[in-house]
Amino acid sequence: MDPSYYIVLSAALFTIGAVGVLIRRNAIVVFMCIELMLNAANLALITFSRMNGSLDGQIMAFFVMVVAAAEVVIGLAIIMSIFRTRRSASVDDANLLKY
Amino acid sequence: MTFKLPAIDYLALAPMLVLFGAACAGVLVDALVPREWRYHVQVPLSLVALLASGGFVVALANRKEHVVTAGSAVVIDGPGLFLQGSIVVLGIVALFLVAERRLEPGGAFVAQAAVVAGSEADRKQMRKPGVTEVYPMMLFALAGMMLFCSANDLLTMFVALEVFSLPLYLLCALARRRRLLSQEAAVKYFLLGAFASAFFLYGVAMIYGYAGKVDFRGINEAVLGSSNSKTLLLIGLAMLAIGLLFKVAAVPFHVWTPDVYQGAPTPITAFMAACTKVAAFGGLLRVLYVAFERSSWDFRPTLGVIAAATMIVGAVLAVTQTDIKRLLAYSSVANAGYLLTGTLSMNRDGLKYTMFYLVAYGFTVLAAFAIVMLVRDSDGEATHLARWAGLGRRSPVFASLFTFLMLAFAGIPLTSGFTAKFGVFAAAVGGNMTWLVIIGVLSSMILAFPYLRVVVLMWLSVPGDDTPTVSVPGAFTAAALFVGVAMTLVLGVAPNQALELVNDAGAFLR
Amino acid sequence: MDNIQYSAAVEYAAASGTLSSIWLLFAIPLASAAVLFLLGRRADKWGHLLGVASVVATFVLGLVYFFQLKGLSGNRSAEVDLFSFMPVGSLKVDFGLLLDPLSAVFVLLITGVGSLIHIYAVGYMAHDPGRRRFFAFFNLFIAAMLLLVLGNNYVMLYFGWEGVGLASYLLISFFFDKPSAATAGKKAFLMNRVGDAGFAIAMFLMFAQLGSVNYDDVFNGVNQLTQGTVLVMGLLLLLGACGKSGQFPLQAWLPDAMEGPTPVSALIHAATMVTAGVYLIARSNAVFSANATLQTVVVSIGALTLLIGCVIGCAKDDIKRVLAYSTVSQIGYMFLGVGLGGAAYALAIIHLLAHGFFKAGMFLGAGSVMHGMQDQVDIRRFGGLWKYMKITWITFGLGYVAIIGLPPLSGFFTKDPIILAAFNRPGWTGWLFGGAALLGAGLTAFYMTRLFVLTFHGPKRWTDGQHPHESPAVMTVPLVLLAVGSVASGFLMSTSVVDWLTPVLGKHAEEHGRLGHWTVTGMTMAVVALGLAAGVLLFRKGTALEEQPAGPVVTAARNNLYADTFNELVFELPGRYLTRALVFLDNRGIDGVVNGLAAMVGGGSGRLRRAQTGYVRSYALSMLGGALLVVAALMAVTLG
Repeated sequence: MDPSYYIVLSAALFTIGAVGVLIRRNAIVVFMCIELMLNAANLALITFSRMNGSLDGQIMAFFVMVVAAAEVVIGLAIIMSIFRTRRSASVDDANLLKY
Repeated sequence: MTFKLPAIDYLALAPMLVLFGAACAGVLVDALVPREWRYHVQVPLSLVALLASGGFVVALANRKEHVVTAGSAVVIDGPGLFLQGSIVVLGIVALFLVAERRLEPGGAFVAQAAVVAGSEADRKQMRKPGVTEVYPMMLFALAGMMLFCSANDLLTMFVALEVFSLPLYLLCALARRRRLLSQEAAVKYFLLGAFASAFFLYGVAMIYGYAGKVDFRGINEAVLGSSNSKTLLLIGLAMLAIGLLFKVAAVPFHVWTPDVYQGAPTPITAFMAACTKVAAFGGLLRVLYVAFERSSWDFRPTLGVIAAATMIVGAVLAVTQTDIKRLLAYSSVANAGYLLTGTLSMNRDGLKYTMFYLVAYGFTVLAAFAIVMLVRDSDGEATHLARWAGLGRRSPVFASLFTFLMLAFAGIPLTSGFTAKFGVFAAAVGGNMTWLVIIGVLSSMILAFPYLRVVVLMWLSVPGDDTPTVSVPGAFTAAALFVGVAMTLVLGVAPNQALELVNDAGAFLR
Repeated sequence: MDNIQYSAAVEYAAASGTLSSIWLLFAIPLASAAVLFLLGRRADKWGHLLGVASVVATFVLGLVYFFQLKGLSGNRSAEVDLFSFMPVGSLKVDFGLLLDPLSAVFVLLITGVGSLIHIYAVGYMAHDPGRRRFFAFFNLFIAAMLLLVLGNNYVMLYFGWEGVGLASYLLISFFFDKPSAATAGKKAFLMNRVGDAGFAIAMFLMFAQLGSVNYDDVFNGVNQLTQGTVLVMGLLLLLGACGKSGQFPLQAWLPDAMEGPTPVSALIHAATMVTAGVYLIARSNAVFSANATLQTVVVSIGALTLLIGCVIGCAKDDIKRVLAYSTVSQIGYMFLGVGLGGAAYALAIIHLLAHGFFKAGMFLGAGSVMHGMQDQVDIRRFGGLWKYMKITWITFGLGYVAIIGLPPLSGFFTKDPIILAAFNRPGWTGWLFGGAALLGAGLTAFYMTRLFVLTFHGPKRWTDGQHPHESPAVMTVPLVLLAVGSVASGFLMSTSVVDWLTPVLGKHAEEHGRLGHWTVTGMTMAVVALGLAAGVLLFRKGTALEEQPAGPVVTAARNNLYADTFNELVFELPGRYLTRALVFLDNRGIDGVVNGLAAMVGGGSGRLRRAQTGYVRSYALSMLGGALLVVAALMAVTLG
């Protein structure tokens, strides 16, 4: 099977993630969309690894997963703290800083 | 199958290792040392770690031996060391601001971030000393920034990017007062930062697809030699650039800057304005000058337009700002544009003067935020500009210092602002980017107004009843202020020593 | 049209002996300013004395250097590189100083007139609580001005340039309590920024084209540049010069700058700083002489400005403003001179020196009048003052005779040759510019007569509550010395100074133009006599106290020839309509941006900042949109 299909899939996932960031209100879901974008990048890395015949891309995917996990910890901590204050996880409610 | 461990030059990595080690030790201190002792352990620990790290940087710079180490993940070369050294020095000054506890009982940071803002418990913790986790987090961020400037491949760069970004997201959320704004700033910074780093990572994947490698030398070789579709290269380059331009706050990726600068605790804002700027431009310089130098014809027009837009938008938006922190944020955006102008000259002068500009700007902006920290009333810092009216009569000394810093931002000669701007613009002219320089001069003309407005407001208005007082700075803030102002003056009057230093740093190692 | 060749390379000799310490010239006033700032109130008692002493010492030192320079044989110049300011890369800028005949005469003018005005200010500011601070700024100004004329490259000139600008805004705004002073300071800042931007870009252009900003490199390299480059470079420099010297179209700030204390008006806005533009052009004579179009532009600006200044000067009633417009107009003559090129460069410089004397004297005289009349500035409310302040009357009178150009005072020797040179410009433009200069001379005679007669002669029109009196000696002695200068300097300068300046401004053959020397002198005298007679006849009986209904020309002149209205129509209104956000801000009491151009920027800013909605998702949208644009642009550049 032609590996370039995986690239197309990864691009589609990335786009879905990016659009999700724009249209979803819940901070957690927005964050999940960002994770989707990271995973799209992972898929692309692994596919290119196969196409190029080197293992580097697969190793990179592992690194990315670890980084993403760290990001989750930080992100949830911040989102939790603001949720507890505002009783809302909607990103549209956080709108005091502007202009 | 046997694995061969890569050789690691521990001395070359020592500046970063010291900081990572001290940061881990700091986490332990927070876990094990009684609450009332933590501050008194953490501050000296961080300071010693930074000084040691700086010492190693100097030692390495004297060694004059440029190495690629840790399995070609890290490169230690002249510009990298200069940037690392600048990050350490600016980091020490920023640490002074973070460690200040005289202005506000307990410091600028909340005692327990998990407590719901505005609740009964929150009111109770108002007078408790602030969290001491800020110190290890700062050290992690600083170490990440140093790694970011010395990364030799895109993966290391991505990891370093996250290592210095994640602590910053948290630090933004830790303001003692106006916690809602602080938390909002953190959420915005975090979501947009993660969004941008997703772009960066996808760019890495594309470049990997194009070049088959992610180390800079490999990419550089592949730019001309690869048989893969150039589309991959261009998409990858664009997305990498987006991730980096987000960090440097270039238009249209600057949107987070004013909100985050305003909401974050002021010492952290100062830290971001000075150190993050250095790290982000350090990374950008290395990527553009080492990995993609050969495709500079591809990216220079596009990034040039971005630089122009950044200079204009930053300057124009600064004109109507009413909050001093937001004003400085837009000024930081405009300064990113001037720095981009220097970066895009793509010649030796461009590298040198961009690095010089980073240092000069860092000191000035730290001093400016130090004064912002001092202007306060019973409700904390008074950042609204209307409140600054007549400050010159209340406190001529600090108003004079702030006036001097504003003149430096405006690029008046004999301040570091002039030397730095003159240098990057001249380099850009040498790199055939004259159109960008013309826009830069016009932009700095516009940008002089908001600065002048603050000066006029301070000196020519009559102080009202609600004009805040300028607090007497503690030793830490006074030291930071002194260093910032002194360096602004020295780099303006006699910049030759510092310029020799950037000159000796030479070029990036490939 | 230009009868000199710049083929001979410009070369400066390295300084030796005493001349290697010329940095002392700006270091002394700078140190004095620093002491006055740093010691604060502790220096209140003796601060003004230190301020005066430092400038007088600088003047003495300047004399010493002048005679040293005079004693040099051959290449009369002394160049000192103090240290390497920017040593790195292909851009090398030295902190270098140059004393040559041109900068030497400027040093003497600045420190000489500066000393007298400093002494005068001791008396003038005697009761002002901010006197020490005033002297600190004044010393700072002297230091910056000396740096401006002593630099050996354009960056040093720019240092001084910005420094004098800064000192000038600070001194204009010195009367903090007057909102009009603050507004005037801002206006000066805006207009100067426009000019400075031009100057800065010109420097980068020099660097790009010639690889250096040193005078000798630029002047020697200018011949290799294309005419287009020279034109652009010259126009940008000219923009800078117009901003600093209050020339069309950036003239509006100068009269407003009179809000500052009178010694400031005399020193900065009459004698020294505003002539920096003339210095810039004279210094860059190699650039300006290299392109004929450029010279025409300079001449046109000079002629236009001198007429604008005269016309508005005729209609103003504020003594300082009349003098201010007369400054604008006299600098117009200097621009005319430097634009004509050739021999007229030196004429412009000697007119500048003479103007420094008589205009400073008249401003100080005006200050003395105001001092005796409880700060009244309206000339319609003076009259018959000659009885009460005799010294002021005589010294002011000598300045007045000098400016209208009656022999044997200085204006006759310096202004008439410029008019002659204008007539002798080849082609029909000679008639045009000569005619303009001639008309200007007549108008100058008219409005200066009006000023003089209304102030010192005719019936008294002041109230009985006022007791005009002569000023103390500390103020009148400088007046006398400046008057002596305006009497004596003319003839001396018209011969010796021109020769002295030859090494810098070029050697000139005797010109034989279409009109002889005596013809033009005769015409000028006739026109001046006409203006003088008209002034005396119209105003010897005084004038009405209220504004009379007037014809369109006078109304237009009273309104600064609608310059502000023009600004408003072109710049301000569109800015207003763009958005009301700025108006809103202004109303909220935050000190808005007042000027027209700024209103436009402010309008754009107010609208643009609405885009910063505060919603994360809209930020993400702008980032995504930006990302798509960047990708598309990269693709388009490379593949398209």
